[in-house]
Amino acid sequence: MTEEDEAAFDEFLAARSTALLRTAILVCGASQHDAEDLVQNALEKVYRHWSRIRHDNPESYARRVVVNAAISAARRRRVIQEITFARPPDTPAASPDVELREELVEELRRLPARMRAVLVLRYWEDLSENETAALMGCSAGTVKSQAARGLARIRERMGPREGVLG
Amino acid sequence: MRLEEELAEAMEAHVAGVRATPAMGGAIRRRNRAHRLRFRTAGVALATAAVAGAVPVYLSLNAGPAATAPGPAAQPGRGTEVAVVRDVTVPDVVGLHAQKALVVLEAAGLEAQVEGAGGEGDLVVQQTPAAGEKVARGHVVLLTSAPPGPTENPDPTADPDPTEDPGPGDEPSIPNDLGDLGDGRRFGGVEFTYLPEGLQWGEGSVKDGFGKTSYSTWWQEAGLEPGMYSVQAVVYRGQAATELGRRMKGYRDQGARPVEIGGERVYIVRAGESVGRIEEGGTPTAVWTEGAGLAIEVMMSPDYYARLGQEKAEAELKEIVEGVVPGR
Repeated sequence: MTEEDEAAFDEFLAARSTALLRTAILVCGASQHDAEDLVQNALEKVYRHWSRIRHDNPESYARRVVVNAAISAARRRRVIQEITFARPPDTPAASPDVELREELVEELRRLPARMRAVLVLRYWEDLSENETAALMGCSAGTVKSQAARGLARIRERMGPREGVLG
Repeated sequence: MRLEEELAEAMEAHVAGVRATPAMGGAIRRRNRAHRLRFRTAGVALATAAVAGAVPVYLSLNAGPAATAPGPAAQPGRGTEVAVVRDVTVPDVVGLHAQKALVVLEAAGLEAQVEGAGGEGDLVVQQTPAAGEKVARGHVVLLTSAPPGPTENPDPTADPDPTEDPGPGDEPSIPNDLGDLGDGRRFGGVEFTYLPEGLQWGEGSVKDGFGKTSYSTWWQEAGLEPGMYSVQAVVYRGQAATELGRRMKGYRDQGARPVEIGGERVYIVRAGESVGRIEEGGTPTAVWTEGAGLAIEVMMSPDYYARLGQEKAEAELKEIVEGVVPGR
């Protein structure tokens, strides 16, 4: 790697690492600490190939590696432990809005990893079905059906909340 | 509000306070160095792979097959929704030799990233995305390779290299391209007449891992795990020597000055985490041109260097360099 490559990698990190870390947290349902580890590991792969990929949409490559790693990590976690999501004890009493959000995030975490990844990429990252499909290495049809099923499952588990979830 | 939007807001709120630390760049480069104990010039190996079809192996002895667990194969796309960008069907390469898998994937217009123990006879045990998936041309297929089991040969049509030593199945296989080197002091047409006391041959070697016509082996202190090095040497011949010459020029451009040892002009630098870059705390490295089309690199593991202490370590490194003689 040339010095210019190194500098470009630092720039890339400055611009993208926070977003990638957030994606990883959402996709794998892990703590920030675990997600950081995962993202560092994934970005090390990006770094290894950096001089080759830096001119060819490194962001999408990095996101692909991070999402794949997050899905794998989520699967492993699922085996090791049933993930529980108690609210931290010192959290002040939350407003109904905040409570709803926390419940939604919790339900999101209970979905299978790939389904959750689809929801994160489609609705949080706001990628199109095609972009999500390319990133996850599946078809747009799969993305569509996984997204629909994910939403349906959350809706079902959240129970009837008139006027809140259309 | 629609559930999608509600969900997006919930996700946003959940991660809004998260920021990546500025230390991440350093952490990534440290990890990268750990990967490159022996394949420090992975970039060169990759370039070679494109030409010679060699396998780019990334030594990561602890990375088991779990690293890229494949999912259940996603359902095939429904015809009407297949986008124009997806025009390659991923071939099935599980069970192939990693090297062969690479060729197959390249032929299909895909890229591959191989992870695993790094042995030459390793087989692909997992692939992501799965065979049959439609992906964009140039998509990177993640392969996990592992040494073949002691008895099974999942691909009877594959042509196993008779010289390869698959090693015990439950241990990471160490590349052993050059066979039994005895005490490891003679390889690549060069003899290392001096090695610090207490080092023994690492029982492994890499051919063309540092560019075409490069040869490498390493020595280790007693008690070091297989695959770790205390001192590693690379002999560059032909084209590989030319490449190393360029690297030396790069060191010179960064302010390094050669020292004279045994009549050779030797660059002794702390080689950084990226190839060709000098860095404080990098791997103590000596490089020099021994003759036409012959260049040599000796690296000392930073751990070993620290254990010896700077003064002794530098003296040992110089002595190793001085003891190198072109073989007969």
